[in-house]
Amino acid sequence: MLVTARLRPPDRTVEVADVRRVADLLGRLDVLPGAVLVIRDGALLTSQDELRDGDQVEVRFAISGGA
Amino acid sequence: MAMRCKRCRGAAVIEVRRHNAAFCRDCFFHYVGQQVTRAIAKHRMLAPSDRVLVAVSGGKDSLALWDLLLELGYRADGLYLSLGIGAYSERSKRVCEEFAAARGATLVVHDLAGEHGYTIPEAAGRGGRSSCGVCGLSKRYVFNRAALDGGYDVVATGHNLDDEAAVLFANTLRWDTAAMARQFPVLEATHPGLVKKVKPLYRLAERETAAYCVLKGIDYVVEECPLVAGNTQMRHKETLNRMEEESPGTKHSFLFGYLERAAELLRVADVAELAECSRCGMTTQAPDDPAEAPVCAFCRSKARLVKPLPVVEVTAG
Repeated sequence: MLVTARLRPPDRTVEVADVRRVADLLGRLDVLPGAVLVIRDGALLTSQDELRDGDQVEVRFAISGGA
Repeated sequence: MAMRCKRCRGAAVIEVRRHNAAFCRDCFFHYVGQQVTRAIAKHRMLAPSDRVLVAVSGGKDSLALWDLLLELGYRADGLYLSLGIGAYSERSKRVCEEFAAARGATLVVHDLAGEHGYTIPEAAGRGGRSSCGVCGLSKRYVFNRAALDGGYDVVATGHNLDDEAAVLFANTLRWDTAAMARQFPVLEATHPGLVKKVKPLYRLAERETAAYCVLKGIDYVVEECPLVAGNTQMRHKETLNRMEEESPGTKHSFLFGYLERAAELLRVADVAELAECSRCGMTTQAPDDPAEAPVCAFCRSKARLVKPLPVVEVTAG
């Protein structure tokens, strides 16, 4: 099973094998769940949502710097 | 097992761990609206008749704020300040214009280079302030001035819980009590030259304002400002987020504990005398030496960034 994750910003794409849930994916990417949104086909996923083989998800960082 | 919405038990789309909650789309909108309404009411931020100027950057927070204020029925116009950061600024401006056009809302546009003679990339590394420092100073100045000139009652900014916690963290590390004293969800207009400033999103985490935009279909600039990478606030946010992951609610307790128990003590101690800037006429802190002409931080910074053109004498013949 393979999931394609587009992380941004900055924009980069990685493939991750054998991740059953969103929480597993974020763990493998070493990304804090509280800092990102995970989006599949325009819909938000929670950390407990299951992933499917061939899924393409966006891992969007929600942290922005300010003055 | 899929997560369930805390309110309606439907399928959840977002988890809010600090409140031990998860929400479906509609209940999340209810939660966000409730948090903003609560912030506005608690601090008497806005009156129904107020003319509000929302400072918009094209990012998630300011567009979510503008959208929420319009939905709540406030008379809210947007203000976009072009900072001259190449394609990033062009895209940001376009996103704000499209947002305004789709809602029939008014967007006021100002341009730093056209009105003050410098862009933020030009300011980077010159004049003793970081690019983020000059950017913040320029925005605060232009927002206040534009609101005064346009007859607005209030300037609303999209500062969220993470922004406020990170700023408080930075100020606490330095024990900058003067800066801490000015950090509050509402700053009243204490002088005719100052417009009231409010932060209606201070109860919401930035992940929630981003989720609001995604669920509402608001197109916002996801890219980060090219000048901001690795800045201090980003590093502080990362530190706080690691603590939050271990112990949800840490940022909320840090900020709200300060606002409820310490802010008042510092505000009483901070009684800066105000004066009019001798160059631009805007309100600034009075100099310690009464013989010295007051010059505001913006005019001082601008003088370092914009060198007057050399005078060349041209003689006929």
